[in-house]
Amino acid sequence: MVSASKRLLLQYVTAILLIFLLTWHLVIRVPALRGVDTFMETLSAKLVYGEISSYGVLLLVFAYVALLHGFNGLRNVLLEWTGGRYSKPITIIIVILFIVFASLATYTVVGITPPG
Amino acid sequence: MALKGKENKPGWIASINPWVLRIVNNPERLAFVLHRITGVLMALIIMAHIYVTGIPAHTGWEAWIEEIQNAHGITPVTLYFFFFAGIAWFHGLNGIRLLLVEFLGLCIGEPEKPKPPYIAPSLKGCQRKLLYLVFALWAILWILTGYILFVA
Repeated sequence: MVSASKRLLLQYVTAILLIFLLTWHLVIRVPALRGVDTFMETLSAKLVYGEISSYGVLLLVFAYVALLHGFNGLRNVLLEWTGGRYSKPITIIIVILFIVFASLATYTVVGITPPG
Repeated sequence: MALKGKENKPGWIASINPWVLRIVNNPERLAFVLHRITGVLMALIIMAHIYVTGIPAHTGWEAWIEEIQNAHGITPVTLYFFFFAGIAWFHGLNGIRLLLVEFLGLCIGEPEKPKPPYIAPSLKGCQRKLLYLVFALWAILWILTGYILFVA
């Protein structure tokens, strides 16, 4: 079991990483920077496929870091709300959720095919 | 008072109960509550976001293309992005403040001689200004996001 202080450090380190990753993730949705007119056009199949195929590894790192930060935070909140009574089942559910959504994100990047 | 002592009881109701929050003249408490609410919402939305952005990989691009084509102006999709962005902006901006104040120990002032009415140095000056900056930037960036989503 990872100690509470290590998990808090993990929360801060992932937060620092997320500042840069989330900024990048949001900036590439600004229409003017992608040479299109509207926000929705930045989500066109061609541009989205281009992003996933060129920056797949970065997107995956982003997904894993966001999930680590999010689920670790959610676990902390749930433990506080329940007064620490169900720490084991909550931890197990959080770990399962992390594995499920990390696998889903991995499959999205690995299994993507060009738009037809 | 029926609520006496309730703030010490665990449970999610107590953490958002406006009668026990004491956020008047206490913006740090307001920021804490908002950080918690936006954090829980973000964790839930990230799961939905990862599932939805995975649609092209597991069911093909058709559903994706159809959704994008019908999502101009004020639609459920753009409203979802608007609220997602608002939640993310607050959590991110306040998170940067927390990193500076809690993780790096910056902007919390020096200990001083307690003179009544005593206000801790960390609750005034630099840290408080940073907090107001967070709220101001949140409003500006959320409006800007709305402009990009609905008007531009």
